[in-house]
Amino acid sequence: MTDPTDAEGVDETRVLAGELALRVLSPAEEAAARAREAADPGFAAEVEAWNEHLAGLADATAPVAPSPYVWPRVEAGLPPVAANDNRRLAFWRTWAVGSTGLLAASLAAVVVLLAQPSPVPPAPAPAAPVAVTRVATLTLENGAAAMTIAYDPGTGELYLAPTNEMAGDTRVPHLWLVMPEGGVQLVGAIDGSATSRHNLGRALSGKAGQANAVAVSMETPGHTPAADKPDGPVVASGELQRL
Amino acid sequence: MSSILTRDELSMALGQAGQGDRAAFRRVYDATSAKLLGVTLRILADRQLAEDVLQDTYLTVWSKAGSFDASRASPITWLVTIARNRAIDRLRSGAATRRSTPIDEAFDIADDGPSPAQALETGDDVRRLNDCLGELDDRTGGAIRTAFIEGVTYDALASRENVPLGTMKSWIRRGLMRLRACLES
Repeated sequence: MTDPTDAEGVDETRVLAGELALRVLSPAEEAAARAREAADPGFAAEVEAWNEHLAGLADATAPVAPSPYVWPRVEAGLPPVAANDNRRLAFWRTWAVGSTGLLAASLAAVVVLLAQPSPVPPAPAPAAPVAVTRVATLTLENGAAAMTIAYDPGTGELYLAPTNEMAGDTRVPHLWLVMPEGGVQLVGAIDGSATSRHNLGRALSGKAGQANAVAVSMETPGHTPAADKPDGPVVASGELQRL
Repeated sequence: MSSILTRDELSMALGQAGQGDRAAFRRVYDATSAKLLGVTLRILADRQLAEDVLQDTYLTVWSKAGSFDASRASPITWLVTIARNRAIDRLRSGAATRRSTPIDEAFDIADDGPSPAQALETGDDVRRLNDCLGELDDRTGGAIRTAFIEGVTYDALASRENVPLGTMKSWIRRGLMRLRACLES
């Protein structure tokens, strides 16, 4: 198909597609062009080509960070997770890697950790100076901070400082690593009422170095869940931040 | 917090979001929401409206991500087009009123080089576009930039520049054809 070209050598189809992509047409002209776009794939392809060419003009507009409430509103507008989906996987996807674990808060948490008395039993003295390189603030669904953790992948040292949000719960909190490829890895039962220190074994410390988030599930006393799947509800989670 | 993804990473995340992967969708949001808010805010000049449109934009992105075709469009182009069209629809629905900005001013703004943080688009395409726009006369190049960035019609452009509607149409139509010829040469 050939398009008529006017006296100025203007390819009418192509230039109309450009005007539509640029959105300079009057409302009536635009409505007519949209109708053609819907009915004529060749014209629609021209519009798409113009969009591709012109979008670079947006490079001149400075980025503006959206307010923090925009994402939760977007998320609230998404359809519910399909019921036939693997529930556990869908669940991890839903909460994982929210960016609520602000670095500033995490840094503050490290200060808090350092300021708190070290309880039972002290970890063996590390061979190298302790370098805390991962921190996370775990928050409950209501946004309250449940625990802060700091982890040094070099030595396997893990420091946990719960707030009093979990105090009084008769269930036993268990700490989990959320792996970047999906799935979770059990670290173990933790003390939800007082600061504690742990040293992760070699296998686990490698995983902890790769994990991008941590989570806490509440398990029935005396019950140990499988290493890759909590049985109790996950009540808190937080993104691991690098220092 | 905004993160930088390469074009391929963004394409992949968009594709995964199209399969229903919410974590991937979040990565798309984190990497692009500041860019898209910049686009909607320039058109609507009202932060609340611009953020409302941003929210609608991402809901559209979620539902249309499955139709994104990385072999045909760049991911950021695809996103910018949705955001810009949404913002213009809102602007013209009468829900927004806005100040008018002379083309010269828009041209000055448009002439600022992009900062590294906003270099989401592969640089070559943008450089080529700017080179080709630079080959148009300043009036025409400025009018095309203003039309894109502020989302205004021929009518508004003509009254801002104080030229007859037909003159503005002729500038832009001929400018578009030259631009396209240059881009494809």
